[in-house]
Amino acid sequence: MWDWLKWFTHMENSKVAALIIFFSLFVAILIYVFGHKQRSERLESYKYIPFDEDDEPDTNDSKHKGTQDERE
Amino acid sequence: MRHENIETNVGLLVALTLVVISIGGLIEIVPLFFIDETIEQVKTTDGKDAIRPFTPLESRGRDIYIREGCYLCHSQMIRPFRDEILRYGHYSLAAESQYDHPFQWGSKRTGPDLARVGGKYSNEWHTQHMIAPRSVMPDSIMPNYPWLLENDLKYNDIAGRLKSQRIVGVPYSLTDEEYEANVERFGKEAADRLNIHAAEENLMAQAEQGNYDGDRSRLTEMDALVAYLQVLGTMVDFKQYDEGHFAEFR
Amino acid sequence: MAAGEQYNYDIVRKFSIMALVWGVLGMTAGVYIAAELAFPFMNFDIPELTFGRLRPVHTTLVIFGFGGSALFATSYYIVQRTCQTRLSSASLANFTFWGWQSVIVLGVISYVLGYSQGREYAEFSWPLDLLITVVWVAYLVIYVQTIRHRSQPHIYVANWFFMAFILATAILHVFNNLAVPVGLFSLSSYSAFSGVQDAMTQWWYGHNAVGFFLTAAFLGMMYYFVPKQAGRPVYSYRLSIIHFWALVFLYMWAGAHHLHWTALPDWTSTLAATFSILLLLPSWGGMINGIMTLSGAWDKLRSDPVMMFLITALSFYGMSTFEGPLMALKSVNALSHYTDWTIGHVHSGALGWVAMVSFGSMYHLIPRLYDTEMYSKKLMYVHFWLASIGIVLYITAMWVAGIGQGLMLRGFDEYGNLAYSFIETVIFLKQPYIWRTIGGAFFLAGMLVMVYNVFATIRQAKKETAILDAKIAAKLANA
Repeated sequence: MWDWLKWFTHMENSKVAALIIFFSLFVAILIYVFGHKQRSERLESYKYIPFDEDDEPDTNDSKHKGTQDERE
Repeated sequence: MRHENIETNVGLLVALTLVVISIGGLIEIVPLFFIDETIEQVKTTDGKDAIRPFTPLESRGRDIYIREGCYLCHSQMIRPFRDEILRYGHYSLAAESQYDHPFQWGSKRTGPDLARVGGKYSNEWHTQHMIAPRSVMPDSIMPNYPWLLENDLKYNDIAGRLKSQRIVGVPYSLTDEEYEANVERFGKEAADRLNIHAAEENLMAQAEQGNYDGDRSRLTEMDALVAYLQVLGTMVDFKQYDEGHFAEFR
Repeated sequence: MAAGEQYNYDIVRKFSIMALVWGVLGMTAGVYIAAELAFPFMNFDIPELTFGRLRPVHTTLVIFGFGGSALFATSYYIVQRTCQTRLSSASLANFTFWGWQSVIVLGVISYVLGYSQGREYAEFSWPLDLLITVVWVAYLVIYVQTIRHRSQPHIYVANWFFMAFILATAILHVFNNLAVPVGLFSLSSYSAFSGVQDAMTQWWYGHNAVGFFLTAAFLGMMYYFVPKQAGRPVYSYRLSIIHFWALVFLYMWAGAHHLHWTALPDWTSTLAATFSILLLLPSWGGMINGIMTLSGAWDKLRSDPVMMFLITALSFYGMSTFEGPLMALKSVNALSHYTDWTIGHVHSGALGWVAMVSFGSMYHLIPRLYDTEMYSKKLMYVHFWLASIGIVLYITAMWVAGIGQGLMLRGFDEYGNLAYSFIETVIFLKQPYIWRTIGGAFFLAGMLVMVYNVFATIRQAKKETAILDAKIAAKLANA
């Protein structure tokens, strides 16, 4: 029952198989991350986390408050 | 599944990271233990293993080699290039370092490769070169190692050292069966030298017979180190094999 | 200090100061051994001072002492601030501090005395390996616990990188150091693996010590300090997602490029070469993400020395992650391997990227830890230029040395004989070795300037606090 696994052990096959698997995974991630406008905006909103600090009023206050509201 | 699920769950983040970082190592390292061709079989004409583990004295010499950090300036891995083969000899085989715990291939040649330094120079040359490299090689930048000749070789823990190596797979023999197996595998002479019970006697006998540092009255660290250097790369007799014989393993 | 109460800054201060201490000592050791190669009399026939024993001292002090302490400091700072919670356990954090410092001290003492495992960048004897493991588990526990107690729903990207660094280092450390000790009271041990398998394990470790300890973790630093210093968020959060997963996945495959053309099977080194080239993509993705964070505020590059450190670091990161894949090509590696080109490459990463990004981060961090400003902006510029000149001298010298020696060693005369003996290449190396030492000395001088500047900053902070306390006391007395 494990015979089909042997197909992968041949270098010629495993190279192609690995390439297809990894590349399609990579493309899928790319599409997920960049492919959708709303999702993009949502993901980008998390970059303001370092500015959500309460003891430093000098940094980008207006900006991070806006995003905090969006997130909630 | 959203990426937020990972970003908000530390358990998931840890688990996924572990999976992703494990794949590369698993695929590249684990097969090396199971694919037979990784290490070639090198037999002598009478069917014995050409590569044997180090004798007790050579093994102690290797310890000193590691202690002084020789591997930081000298490699022990000749690559299959024309210039390296002309300069150092036949390219190194995987089998030749199969008993090296740890391997000492090195990564930098501030000095020349030592994989086949054995037999190239005399014992006297090595001893002199180690005490004062610039006395034999005026432009050398190697440090002097005079203390190797001053320090008595410590060998009271030699049996323990061989036993540890036996645990990690070096065929030093502790039982009669192991000894017999070694006779079968390496021949009687080598098997005798791999017998842990006779480790101390073997060590002293080899130092006495080899007289590596030129002073029979004392057993110094120089004896051990030179004994080690003189065996490096000498175990395989490449004249026995057709040219290109080992290429199939690459 | 209000912030000091809210967050555990005590541990961050301790690690920051030790990072500077180890930095000075480690770079001094580096300059010294560089000088030994140019002037071998400097070994002085003293075992403890010879190159072979001091080289692990240098690498351990700069990687684990300087780099490690800087990472502990910044990761403890960043995890608290981005999770908006206090470090989970002060006593455990203190344990990681004292444990880690003991590892460094004991490691250095054991090397000069001749106790080494004979594995590059993993020379620690087995009892120290055990201590490292315990400290590291404590580090992981603190980190995970702190993240779990966060008051911010999201785990910020910097923490992913630190998390990956902690996990990967744990795995690498444990598997690479598997060994059987000679005895319970002996510092000697023999590694579990031998020959080919051992070489592969060691360079899987060695390359990923670079990949995770010296890259991923410092990228964590970058993802926090560059945006904070620039006063604007990171260029693209989505890019950072790709950057993270691609980097941690690809790095682990690349180790075997340290073993091209050796007795390691060809399939392994081919795989490693392929993945090394792919690694260029996430590396440059990260660099672009960092540098572009500054877009729209490029003027800061002229007015803010901290930004100069950070952006220069990213530029060197970009340069050495381009050089790395190049050297991982088998044809290039045939020339570069075993030569000083490798040493130069390591240092353009270690000095240019790791040290520069640490300096920038420290200059951002130190004033905040002590609630003051840096004592002298001018000295920060001085440091920047000393360091930059030092790096350029160093890597140029090593390019000349490495490529020169590589070409000489493969040179043939008209009859097909070797054109040069090995010792002729050693003679050739003398000049570059002197220049390398000078470059290193420049870099060290910059480091000393930084130490003085930080020392003066702390002194000034103490004065300010004392004055403030006196004022408050006076007010209370009047009232």
